[in-house]
Amino acid sequence: MNILSIIFIVAGLFFLIVAAIGVIRLPDVFSRSHAVSLTDSLGAFLMLVGIALHEGLGKNMLKILVVLALLYILNPGITHATIRAALRSGLKPWKKETP
Amino acid sequence: MATRSRPISSNFLLLKITALFVFWVLLSSSFTWIHLGLGLLCSFAVAWINSGHSPFVPKFRLWLKFLLYLPWLFYKIVESSLHLSKLILHPALPIAPQLITVEPKLSNRAAVVLLGNSITLTPGTITAEVGRNKLVVHTMDSVLREDVANKHIESKIADIFKDQEPDL
Repeated sequence: MNILSIIFIVAGLFFLIVAAIGVIRLPDVFSRSHAVSLTDSLGAFLMLVGIALHEGLGKNMLKILVVLALLYILNPGITHATIRAALRSGLKPWKKETP
Repeated sequence: MATRSRPISSNFLLLKITALFVFWVLLSSSFTWIHLGLGLLCSFAVAWINSGHSPFVPKFRLWLKFLLYLPWLFYKIVESSLHLSKLILHPALPIAPQLITVEPKLSNRAAVVLLGNSITLTPGTITAEVGRNKLVVHTMDSVLREDVANKHIESKIADIFKDQEPDL
C-alpha cells in the first residue's frame, strides 16, 4: 500500500513539475492557464489519491475525497473566469508567426 | 422556470437535511452531543431557509447517467494531459493556439454548463465564453482541437439529458 501511494505521489509530482515548466515556457496567459489546468486536473488528483492511500480507510480519506470532488467542481469555474476576463479585456491570443 | 413551480414536498426537505447533516459530520468528525446538535440545527435551518426557492428535485436516473459519464471524461483528461505534457516538454514547443467557436445543439442549461466544464477540465482546451448555445474555446494544438470539434463530448452529454424536458 505504501509503495502504491509513493507511485501515485511521484506521478502527481511529475505533472506538477511539467505544469511549472509549462508556465515558464509558454508565451501568453491563455496557453499558460492550460499548463495550470494540468496541475489541477491530473497533478492534484494523483497527489491526493496518493495521500488518501497513505492515510488508509477512515475519516481523513473521506475528507481528502471531499476536497478532490470540490477541486474538480471549482477549478473549471476559476480557469474559465480568468480566461474570459483576459479575453474581454481585449487581450489577443498569441499566434505562431508564419515565416 | 419550469422546475420552480413544482411542489417541494417534505420528503425532499428531509433528504436535504440528511445530506447536509452527513456533510457536517464528515467535516467535523466529532461525535459529542453539542457538535451533533449544532450540526442538526444548522442543517435544518439551511434546508428550511432554502426550501422556498430551491429548484432541487432529485432525478436519480439523470445522476446515474452522469456518474457513468465521469469515468469516460477522466479517460479523456488523462489522454489529453499526456498529450499536453508532451507538447510542453518538446524542445521545439510545437504549439498552435487558436480560438474556435463551437455551436452545440443542446436543449438544457445544465447540459451546456456540463459541456463547458468538461471542455475546461480537459487540459489543453478552455471555454472562454459561453452563450446560449455557443461556446468560444481556446485550444492548444490541432490534436486537442479535434477533441472539441468532433462533437464526441457533446453527443455523450446529449445522451445524458435526452429524457429531460428542454428549458433553453
